[in-house]
Amino acid sequence: MTSLIRVEPRGHAGSWVRFGVPALALLFALALGGGILAIAGNNPFEAYRTMFDASLNGWSAMSRTLALATPLILTGLAAAVAFQMRVYNIGGEGQLYLGAIAASWVGLYLPETTPMVLMLGAMLIAGALAGAFWALLAAIPKAYFNADEIITTLMLNFVALSLMNYLIFGSQSFWRDPRRPVPGGKRLPENAILPSLSGRLHFGIIIAVVAAVVLWWILRRTSWGFQIRTIGDSPRAASYAGMSVKLKTLGVLAVSGALAAIAGVSEVSGVSKGLEPRAIATEIGFTGIIIAVVARSNPLGVVPVAVFLAAIATAGSRLQSIGIAVEVVFLLQGLIFLTVTAGEFFVSNRVRFERTAEAEQPGDSSPTTELPAGAT
Amino acid sequence: MNDSLLVLSIASAVVASTPILFAALGEIIANRSGVMNLGVEGMMLVGAVVGFWAGNETGSLTLALLAGGFGGAGLALIHALLAVTLRVDQTVSGLSLVIVGGGFSSFIGTSGEPSLLSAPNAVDVVPFFPEALRDLPAVGPILFGHDVVVYLGVVAVIAATWILNRTPSGLSLRAVGEDPAAADAAGIPVVRMRYLATAIGGIGAGIGGAYLTIAIVGTWQNGLTAGIGWIAVALVILAGWRPWLALIGALAFGGLNGLGFTLQLAQVDVPSDFLKMMPFIAAYLVVIAVSGNPARARRLAAPAALAQPYAREAR
Repeated sequence: MTSLIRVEPRGHAGSWVRFGVPALALLFALALGGGILAIAGNNPFEAYRTMFDASLNGWSAMSRTLALATPLILTGLAAAVAFQMRVYNIGGEGQLYLGAIAASWVGLYLPETTPMVLMLGAMLIAGALAGAFWALLAAIPKAYFNADEIITTLMLNFVALSLMNYLIFGSQSFWRDPRRPVPGGKRLPENAILPSLSGRLHFGIIIAVVAAVVLWWILRRTSWGFQIRTIGDSPRAASYAGMSVKLKTLGVLAVSGALAAIAGVSEVSGVSKGLEPRAIATEIGFTGIIIAVVARSNPLGVVPVAVFLAAIATAGSRLQSIGIAVEVVFLLQGLIFLTVTAGEFFVSNRVRFERTAEAEQPGDSSPTTELPAGAT
Repeated sequence: MNDSLLVLSIASAVVASTPILFAALGEIIANRSGVMNLGVEGMMLVGAVVGFWAGNETGSLTLALLAGGFGGAGLALIHALLAVTLRVDQTVSGLSLVIVGGGFSSFIGTSGEPSLLSAPNAVDVVPFFPEALRDLPAVGPILFGHDVVVYLGVVAVIAATWILNRTPSGLSLRAVGEDPAAADAAGIPVVRMRYLATAIGGIGAGIGGAYLTIAIVGTWQNGLTAGIGWIAVALVILAGWRPWLALIGALAFGGLNGLGFTLQLAQVDVPSDFLKMMPFIAAYLVVIAVSGNPARARRLAAPAALAQPYAREAR
């Protein structure tokens, strides 16, 4: 045997590794995407240049990106808080729709003379409650029957999508504007619309960033957050320590559902200004899962990752002008998800190439340690 | 009588169940080796776009299904690399396949002049049995009225059952899924088995996707699986990882999918959006029912090492 690949678990990855590996993975994903673009007959450099100009170069581009980052931060947080407890909420998409449905109902139902603060507050609360309710439909069977939440949250996405489509396309519901020839939602009154900060960028970005900081604080500094993370590391140890895993499952999924739903509130109130299924159902919930994984479930990490993925998504429509299908956006997002996931192996393991059998005694600087909990 | 509502709706359920069945059978094989692959939806989409493209180029159903199988297997091997070799979280890896598969298929489907989106279906899907059999009352349309792929689905169920229960490779595969350390000690190549099983899972999903676009939908649309891959994932759990039960379950879901068509013929006015929800509500309820019943859960147990990566050095 002349050469041998040797894999050793790292006891604890230094911060250089923890940030360097995902960064390299990102670059690798962009290179792969460039390769696919080239095979499809496009110029990848022109494509990336166009994307950069469309989404990051200058304030107006940046404000478009941040506007799109707003719901992505919230759905990213929704997935992240559940991941902290090793619960998979794949239902952010459906919870977002429920938030949009509930908030637009409140906005259309309350009198137009309601003060704006009260109106927006009521919409946020109603949306969050609706999202929490939708998440509990999966959390309760998870907590009491151990029903796989990946499947249940996912199935509920499709139910929520059909429900939202029914309200606008399938019926003359309270939400639908009867005067419009093409089915669409009634426009929300002015006091139900999140104030604009600059162009398309609206107040929702502040809500999203505040939510990230608050969630980070809760997870790091409160006993609830500590228990969540302990259960994530070892549910059995946590229940021996007297923590109620069932109640925490309900709590975490409710919070997760509420966060995803607030993304829906922000979209109807700040962007589409009415219940518009085509504008709302754009995979914001699914993208949140990618964001949480790339940010390693850290709420503060969710913000920059969401901005980065928003930058890619914002550029999509501009790419059409140079003859590249918008769908490349989803391809790039998926490739990033894939390479960063693969990169986790290199974060938790050290890989070396050894030439001879003598190298069986590796350098003593790094003793081979047990895998850290949850490293695999 | 062959035009009666009941006969027509059962016949349409049989066709609608075929893509679900192929995808679920593939996933059963992968799961039985201990690999959880949630990326069925993504693999179906890649199989569908590649299969539809190949069908358009060649006009051959066989080549289209083969190409679809290859497409699904290609994506599945990425999952195998991540889940088996790199030992990352299989849930996360599977989800990434859904997103990559969705993005890749939409990108390929929309690119090019003219794109697949506007392409007509070039493959003729013809009934397998002669007209005399097809015209038999009731059983004709239900049992003999379909194309060859529907019958291949039944053959695949028999083959999967036989391979898993009666052949040395099938037993090895199950051993790898139940106790990889013991299988390894017995000289079974754990990693190779898992790669192979994952690839078979991708072939099943890819064929299912190709059949869906060519024989059922008839055109390429971005995201045309619309959750069928996820139904297949749920079905594997409901069927307790048994091919025969997957066949019955696929027929039930196919029936729910075809319910709209039936009710339309019966002139019952149910909003189509509610009909679209039906399979998903059913899958949601049945997953909970299966989990909530300990006796049933024991009998239909998941492979013991499902979703657990195997590292020889960590033994």
